[in-house]
Amino acid sequence: MQSLNVFEKGIGYLEAVLSYYSGSCSYLMLYILCLAYIILKVDKRDKEIFGFGGLFLLLTVYNPVAPLIMDKIFDVNSEYYRFFWVAPVIILVPYVLTGLIVSAKSSKKRLYITGMVILILILSGDFIYRDGIKLAENIYKMPSELIEVSEKIHEDSKKEYTRVFLEYEYNMQMRQYDPKILLTIDREDYLYAVTNDYSDEMLNDESNLQYRIIAALIKYKDIPVEDFKEAMEATHTEYVVLDKANLFNGYVKEAGLCEIGSTKNHTIYRYPLKEPENFELVDYSVVY
Amino acid sequence: MTDLLVIMAGVLFNFILYLAFGSLILYKKGSETSMPVRIVTGFFCYYSVFFVFCLPVMKFYRPLSMLTSIWTAVVVIVIALSLFLDHKVFIGDIKRIIEKLTNEPVFFVIFLILLIFQIVVTALTYNFTLDAAYYVAGVSTNIDTNMINVYDPFTGAWQDHFEMRYFFATYPVQDAVVCQLTGISPLIWTKSVMSMTIIILINLIYYLIVNKLFCDDSKAKIISLAMILFINLTFNTIYTSSTFLFTRTYEGKTIAGNIAILFIFYMFIAINDGSEPGRSRLILFLTCLGASTVSSTANMLIPVEMTVLFIPLIIRKRLYKMIPGYLLCILPGIILALAFVLYVKGYFVFYTYPR
Repeated sequence: MQSLNVFEKGIGYLEAVLSYYSGSCSYLMLYILCLAYIILKVDKRDKEIFGFGGLFLLLTVYNPVAPLIMDKIFDVNSEYYRFFWVAPVIILVPYVLTGLIVSAKSSKKRLYITGMVILILILSGDFIYRDGIKLAENIYKMPSELIEVSEKIHEDSKKEYTRVFLEYEYNMQMRQYDPKILLTIDREDYLYAVTNDYSDEMLNDESNLQYRIIAALIKYKDIPVEDFKEAMEATHTEYVVLDKANLFNGYVKEAGLCEIGSTKNHTIYRYPLKEPENFELVDYSVVY
Repeated sequence: MTDLLVIMAGVLFNFILYLAFGSLILYKKGSETSMPVRIVTGFFCYYSVFFVFCLPVMKFYRPLSMLTSIWTAVVVIVIALSLFLDHKVFIGDIKRIIEKLTNEPVFFVIFLILLIFQIVVTALTYNFTLDAAYYVAGVSTNIDTNMINVYDPFTGAWQDHFEMRYFFATYPVQDAVVCQLTGISPLIWTKSVMSMTIIILINLIYYLIVNKLFCDDSKAKIISLAMILFINLTFNTIYTSSTFLFTRTYEGKTIAGNIAILFIFYMFIAINDGSEPGRSRLILFLTCLGASTVSSTANMLIPVEMTVLFIPLIIRKRLYKMIPGYLLCILPGIILALAFVLYVKGYFVFYTYPR
């Protein structure tokens, strides 16, 4: 929900959040129906447990005005959806539907209601594993190829810490597995690159030369080789790992990178840095 | 095979820890709280106490290994004290478990099948999530550098100040402590051990809630639990707590959005019915404080939930004596949220080196 903004959307913000939150699922609608049923029902205890709290939620946090007020104190733009976690959808909906099933007087009626409930639930949701379960390749739950890439870089590098440029998915995963690998691009830069383009002004920004690398190798922008090399030097990037399908494999060779190894789908390149980085941890022993 | 045994031992050890912390904090001669309530309370108590020890070590940039030593001593003392004071309670727990299994065998067999299915699914699946680039890499980075949150998990770069968004959420630091102490890989610990632990904990809470809602109706309880599982598996957009539960199980916000939210809801039902466990205010306070130390998401969710549930209850039942307790429960979230606002507005910063 990074694209939603309370200030821009105003009173319509909550509706937009709701639409993102629910997607194609109707469980929030089911929750409202169950809440109405509980409020209209005679049972006092049910009203006490679900009714009053539910109504209070609707009048306060789920009131379209609430985000406008809250945004003045906290930045709630991208996280307001989490307030929907407070509604006990996961408890109330099964409670009401189970109640309908078990209160049926005859077994025929019970069967009929059960069938209806199953149908309602199937139509209300969107199965999390509809595209199949993707099994982890190893105990680390990391792509085995990423582990191979890490090993090959360490085999080639003589240093404890090495700075590497990786494509999106590996960039997000590598340091979970191997914290000895330093990354050229941080998460926010990558998230920016996924949805935005780079202006000339950004590409000439001397304090953020990593933009040139990401613009070339991810956005396939036409960056002059010398500018690219300048960025590699400035960011101390010693290795580049590219998917074999990446269109810029030839480009990095042209920039002077040499292949030091490959895996099934990736090629690992080393850049001959003129001034290699000597990354060391800060010595805190002198502090105390 | 060894990895599997390590994972199972890790999960078992977690529950022993939570039970020890929960039993000790809720210890009261002559009155017993149910084991699931003690376990869940113990979970939040564990992270609350950890927070107290972690904060000064982190703030004054002392090494992770120092925290590991301190925390190991605390845990050993708590387990020893709990064994000394609560050993009779634990024997009683075993008897009660056997009794319950004998009374409702079909219910527990089906409950176990549903639980094992969830454990297997979360244990075997591969999920790519952006936030793991912070949380899991943070654990790996802390262990590698033997410091606490001083280096940027995303890139490995040294940071001159602590990122306050994550400063008070010390849950991943505990992961680092355990991994440093045991030598277990952060990936195995977070993505397998903690995932399974969270799945079992949330199912314990579902169990507590359906027991309150349906009392002795085993059939209704099992239908309800099956529906909860079905909805969790199908309420699928990237924003729902159900999706978080199955794809980002080990993350702090999953715990806040599932375990903390629903355990408070359980306590609310119990207090509403007048069947609350002993020391219910302490349980609620520890849940609220613990949730905030697990994830900063809890700082906004927990005060809202407490208000939405308990203010109508206090007015309805004229339980005005509960007001101080309610205020105390929402206080940790509000204070930590305000601290973050003040940091963002530039009022203070915690540097990672003396200046």
